Amino acid sequence: MVTYIVRRLVTAALILLGASFLVYLLTASSGDPLADLRASNAPNKQQLMNARTELLDLDTPAPIRYFKWLAGAAQCLVPFAGTCDLGKSVSGQPITEALGIALVQTLTLVTGATILAILIGISLGIVTALRQYSALDYGVTFMAFLFFSLPIFWVAVLLKEYGAIGFNDFLRNPEIPLPTALGVGAVAGLLVAVAVGGELRRRLITGGAVFAAVTLILIYFSATQWFKTPGLGPVVIAVAGAGIAVAVTVLVAGLRNRRALQSSLIVVALGVIAYFAVQPLLDQATALMIALLGLATVLVGVAVGYFMGGYDRGQSMRVAGITAFLVGGLVVMDRFMQAWPSYFSNSRVRGRPIATIGAGTPNIEGDFWVLGTDTFTHLILPTIALILVSLASYTRFTRSSMLEIMNMDYIRTARAKGLSERSVIMGHAFRNALIPIATIVAFDIGALIGGAVITESVFSVRGMGFLFLDGITHIDPNPVMGVFVCVAVTAMVFNLIADLAYSALDPRVRIKA
Amino acid sequence: MRFGRISQAVGVAAAAALALSACAGTSGGSTSSTAAAGGQQGGSVAVAETNGFSSFNPGTADGNSDVNGHIGYATHSSFIYIDDKLNIVRNEKFGKYEKVSDNPLTVKYTVNEGVKWSDGTQVSAADLLLSWASGSGYYDDADAEAKTGTTYFKTAADTSGLNLTDFPELGSDGRSLTLKYSKPYADWELAYSFPGNGGVDIPAHVVAKQAGLKDTQALVDLLKGLKRGDSKAPKPEDASLKAVADFWSTGFESKTLPSDPSLYLSNGPYIIKSVVPEQSVTLVRNKDYNWGPSPKLDEIVVRTIGAAPAQVQALKNGEVDIINPQASADTVEQLKALTGVNLLLGNQLSYDHLDLNFSGPLAEKNVREAFLKTVPRKDIVDKIIKKIDPQAKPLDSQIFVPAQAAYADSAAKNGSSMYQDVDVDGAKKLLNGATPEIRIMYNKDNPNRVDAYSLIRESATKAGFKIVDGGLGKADWSSSLGDGSYDATIFGWINSGVGVSGTPQIFKTGGGSNYNGFSDADADKAMDELIVTTDKAKQDELQTKIDATIWKSAYGVPLFQSPDVKASSDQISGVTAMPNQTGVWWNVWDWSRK
Repeated sequence: MVTYIVRRLVTAALILLGASFLVYLLTASSGDPLADLRASNAPNKQQLMNARTELLDLDTPAPIRYFKWLAGAAQCLVPFAGTCDLGKSVSGQPITEALGIALVQTLTLVTGATILAILIGISLGIVTALRQYSALDYGVTFMAFLFFSLPIFWVAVLLKEYGAIGFNDFLRNPEIPLPTALGVGAVAGLLVAVAVGGELRRRLITGGAVFAAVTLILIYFSATQWFKTPGLGPVVIAVAGAGIAVAVTVLVAGLRNRRALQSSLIVVALGVIAYFAVQPLLDQATALMIALLGLATVLVGVAVGYFMGGYDRGQSMRVAGITAFLVGGLVVMDRFMQAWPSYFSNSRVRGRPIATIGAGTPNIEGDFWVLGTDTFTHLILPTIALILVSLASYTRFTRSSMLEIMNMDYIRTARAKGLSERSVIMGHAFRNALIPIATIVAFDIGALIGGAVITESVFSVRGMGFLFLDGITHIDPNPVMGVFVCVAVTAMVFNLIADLAYSALDPRVRIKA
Repeated sequence: MRFGRISQAVGVAAAAALALSACAGTSGGSTSSTAAAGGQQGGSVAVAETNGFSSFNPGTADGNSDVNGHIGYATHSSFIYIDDKLNIVRNEKFGKYEKVSDNPLTVKYTVNEGVKWSDGTQVSAADLLLSWASGSGYYDDADAEAKTGTTYFKTAADTSGLNLTDFPELGSDGRSLTLKYSKPYADWELAYSFPGNGGVDIPAHVVAKQAGLKDTQALVDLLKGLKRGDSKAPKPEDASLKAVADFWSTGFESKTLPSDPSLYLSNGPYIIKSVVPEQSVTLVRNKDYNWGPSPKLDEIVVRTIGAAPAQVQALKNGEVDIINPQASADTVEQLKALTGVNLLLGNQLSYDHLDLNFSGPLAEKNVREAFLKTVPRKDIVDKIIKKIDPQAKPLDSQIFVPAQAAYADSAAKNGSSMYQDVDVDGAKKLLNGATPEIRIMYNKDNPNRVDAYSLIRESATKAGFKIVDGGLGKADWSSSLGDGSYDATIFGWINSGVGVSGTPQIFKTGGGSNYNGFSDADADKAMDELIVTTDKAKQDELQTKIDATIWKSAYGVPLFQSPDVKASSDQISGVTAMPNQTGVWWNVWDWSRK
């Protein structure tokens, strides 16, 4: 094992050296860094050219410059010495500093989107695999490929036009005309009727119910100006919580495990009580406090599961813990909604909350909830854009992997020995289907650091992608190398982790040293 | 047992609640609106900038970007500023300067009492001296060829003017300084001009301290004690001056707000309040400022938005109030579709032009003239510029732009009228049956240049010219300028707007940017006179003469000025078009919210 890791690391280092040498030479010879000055008619042209030549060390041939760069970069390997030197950019900024700023920007933009895309993609993949060749399957496949093929800059611009500018205009007077409410309800009902399986009668009933519910909710929202003063309230939390409790029980334990159902319902009841109890505390929230509260919530859930016991105590604990976490999430969401009016009327926001650029409103002041809402309103559109385009690969991967597993002999065996469909899918098929997904997830994390170049530029986020492009356009190898080293190291490390995880997840794979 | 468990649970819960409230935030539950901060009489305006802010000293070679210059402009004052008609406007509330003598040219600068840096220090002669030291290259003895000597201050400013001066004489009041030029210098008024170009940007007391000197006086003494550098006899570098110059060159570079406020002192209408790297810079009014036009806004937020469509959408969504996107027909169309937006169409100082080499097939004047007669200047403007600015016209002067007062007169008299319309017959007559082969070099990655080339080729072919496509990629075209591999070229210059030192750079025999080998004794003589003429009217007269000489010798033709697109929300007033690099910021004090 250790020999294997060492061997992998040594290969990685060699690959990194070779690749960085190539990238450096390619960037350095991709053009003329003095091009703009050569065509200049400034009287001090020569002086400016000398200054840039000196800054970028252009008198030294590129291969030798690479080794100078390497000597500085090698110091980054010395931990805690603070001697890391990746050179300076054409505007004189140290690359280490530029990377620090860009990395934060990129991670803010893509982390949430990647996690959500993985969760949604895998869920959709499993559902479509279980309903192979159904209307739902075709529908999801169609949408996934549609979004996959759309150019992201176009999706992003449309999102800004309608999701930000249009929605902000709507918020000025959030009234939904009755025909619109009916129309939206009808579309939702139709979609659900098509998606839900079963015979015609069942489809009609479900579709009709969804149509009625959505239309009524929209009319209610319009009448109460819900979009101006949104909120869930204890009733919605209780109802939604009960739904969550049942759903989690179905997935994790099965409804036959009554103890698990009971413990999750108890947790929901506790959650509604806690909703009232924690409001004063939440008014003074900090990120640390929310994290601790989240931890406490899960612990309470687990404890309830433990005390409820039942024939499978662990299952009850899991169900109750997950339910507690989700209900806690509802309470936090409700609190964010309570902060909405004060965010909306904040003078910095000017009554147009959904933003088209940047990662935050400059100079905004407010408590945890207002600042959190601010981050949300800035990240929602890029996040949606990134999810839409990256959904396809996760969905299709999971679907095919799940289908393959479902046709395995051991699944037939599991069914033959009388296991419930739930335990067959969740216990036997799902886990094994996840193994190949581990590879693409690890791979995507490398790409994640590399940045979403186009999304960054449309939403004016200056992350790694911008740094890379800017370096290329200025024929400035240093920023390019900085981004390259970051991305390459992450990609290699995560590939190694993926390989190791593979052997941990799949007992058939053994690493031979 | 049951009770025990519950009481334990209650106890744990109580302890947890206590622990949690201990880590609670200090702010109250109800979010106080910040209306009080932003809603005073002045109000706040958000401006989009294409690049990220990177330096508090826009005068250095590295920090000399447009956004640094704009923020430097709003946070610094000087003896002059440039208005949108490209006139020099004196700011006598900041200080006075007067020409004491014409021969030798001697100028005395005095900063008014009470003009202060934002830490309360009076703007003094030492600040002017530091500005002079950085903008004059006085101490430099570097020889770029021989790789000897030292360049101390890495300035972006043109040092040729202040380099003509001796070490300045400092006034006894501590606020005045007198420059004596060894020969008259035409652009003397621009010597202490605007931020990023030799303005009073950098406080001497801060540089002195940061460079390890005892106080400001020690800096003055250091500068006084050193002799003018001589690149022929380079001396070992002076460690103290090197420390001063290095701090001046790099010490103010920062993408974030430094913890030491002395690194971003202001002496202008606004002070930098906060910087979010690559996202925004916030400026607030300088409360003490009364030495210049009085600003109306309390706050200006500069937001970094690179892409033009993103700027337009941000304006539409009310996130920014003023934008200056890259000009394109799409951008103009999008902006025209918006309501509540004022569109400002104007021109930049850059212009495209066709230059003919005074060698090869074009060595003969008749051939050059014939070629120029075929250039469809109006068609080029129609095809390239009119879709952005329907009012656009061909540029009719090699030296002036329409924003300058002297343009109309010069354009009428310089002989450009000969080349208004395509005259294929006239060209054929001049060619007299010859069919010269002309290789035209241009940047083929620039669609405007490709269009201009195609139109010229089509028209010139009709007159009998054989046009060879010498277009090169964006990385290569500029290095082949002046290497003789082509006969004609289409590219762009940037008019300096104010000042005349740009003229000999392009048109003088052997000038640094004279790529086509133009040489005219009359023009050379006029330019020699021009650069030592200190009177504006006389300068205009000489430049008009030079303009006519250039046109007469069939040098080439200017094609069009690059269009400039700015837009502001109709909630904002006072924003006007401005061709030079200061852009909308030139009258930042006039901006106000309606």
